[in-house]
Amino acid sequence: MQVEWWVSVIQAFVVINLVMATFAYLTLAERKVMARMQLRYGPNRAGPYGLLQPIADLLKLLHKESFVPTAAVDRLYLLGPFLAAFTALVTFSVIPYGPGWEVGGVYVPGVVADLDIALVLVFAIGSLGAYGFILGGWASDSKYALLGSMRTCAQLVSYEISLALSVIGVVLMAGTLSLTEIVAAQAGTWWFAAPQLVGLVVFLIAGTAETSRAPFDLPEAEQELVAGYHTEYGGMRFGLYSMSEYIHLISLSALCVTLFLGGWHGPGFDGPSWTGPIWFVAKLAVLLYLFIWMRTTLPRLRYDQLMRFGWKVLLPVAVLNAAVTGILVVWL
Amino acid sequence: MAGFLVWVIWFAAAAACLGTGVAVVSFANPFYSALSLIGNLASLAVLYLLLSAEFLAAAQVLVYAGSVMVMFLFVLAYLGGRADAPWAGGPPLLRTAAIVAAVALLVEIVVVLGLAWGDNLSDPAEVTGAFGSPAAIGELLVTDHLLAFEITSIVLLVAAVGGVVLGTTREKEATE
Repeated sequence: MQVEWWVSVIQAFVVINLVMATFAYLTLAERKVMARMQLRYGPNRAGPYGLLQPIADLLKLLHKESFVPTAAVDRLYLLGPFLAAFTALVTFSVIPYGPGWEVGGVYVPGVVADLDIALVLVFAIGSLGAYGFILGGWASDSKYALLGSMRTCAQLVSYEISLALSVIGVVLMAGTLSLTEIVAAQAGTWWFAAPQLVGLVVFLIAGTAETSRAPFDLPEAEQELVAGYHTEYGGMRFGLYSMSEYIHLISLSALCVTLFLGGWHGPGFDGPSWTGPIWFVAKLAVLLYLFIWMRTTLPRLRYDQLMRFGWKVLLPVAVLNAAVTGILVVWL
Repeated sequence: MAGFLVWVIWFAAAAACLGTGVAVVSFANPFYSALSLIGNLASLAVLYLLLSAEFLAAAQVLVYAGSVMVMFLFVLAYLGGRADAPWAGGPPLLRTAAIVAAVALLVEIVVVLGLAWGDNLSDPAEVTGAFGSPAAIGELLVTDHLLAFEITSIVLLVAAVGGVVLGTTREKEATE
């Protein structure tokens, strides 16, 4: 169906703002959940149950001085956070969250941009995301920042391969790179999480490393590197980096829901079309909770363990999974 | 309106392509050269998009702008490009090669302009609905271009094995 261009513009605006709001409250949820798991209360001063905490944080960051270190390379130093935030947000343009609706005679699709190369685009944009970290770390001209960005880079490059290979099984089974068609292929049947369980596990582990979350949060290991590539950043520039990390996590979870957990479809049945986004958000929330849970539970890996695990365990498993799926898809 | 927009985007992408191309060879600092090369690859991807080769554009960004250039920047940032002296010209062989390449490019431009004036380029290529789709490209790769595809995969495998060999010998020397 033909989509009016202004519908897409409005949709993009709404989706971006919803993602930002999710990011804001994800930070609060993370602090609250972590606190409860560690027998603390967590933030509870700003508003009822601490619900205004993200807004207070935002105001604090906006009011801080926007300093630039004297030794920093000005333009690149400023470009870094924007690049990171941009690449994190763009992924959401191809994630389907509903079947599409007819509102007042105008067709509103369930995705901002329905592309037949959506999955390749997601990985292309994701690989550009590394530049935000390299630029920030290099342009800061500080050894902590440089070492942090080097670690981020090495980690992203190593785990990106496993991440891309882990979804090949899904692509082979669905026979398409379009995310809407992958979701459609899971309607009324088993979600790809069942036949592609190995792929899902590899995807989740590699995804944790891609987003630099515990136990793979070496790029910002406080004891060794202060804060990693954003050591020299303050105020809203730091805020943008922090935002890009959380949004990366959200978009990765959304991708996981789309590829492995049936997207916006309900478990085995579909309600009226407006329940699509609700299922989608519910599954997203479960995955995000899982990531927070992992952060509170698992200690950080050593750097050589991280590299050995990525190249000698995760990559072979991902390759094997892709090969076995390929053989089964051809023979069955 | 759509035609005008295409022209505007084409012009912006082509100008960015030429500008970043010149920037790659004129920056003294290799870090900036590498950044310009990323810009160059990205603007090429936009040109691919205009030629309705969406998959090629995304693959270009994923492989070259994404993975290959990350390794470039990684090495440059590690070695520290800032204090490096600007490149003071290479051996005469390099200069000869550059002149030969420039002459070849000039001949190509003259031929294309001649064809354009002779009205031999006036027929636009036929683009069917499936053109540039992942399925169409995949089918071409395993039918018409199978040999090139397999040779490329062997070349890449050789490079990977070479990397492993280089890495392991250095480790052995270090422990001895």
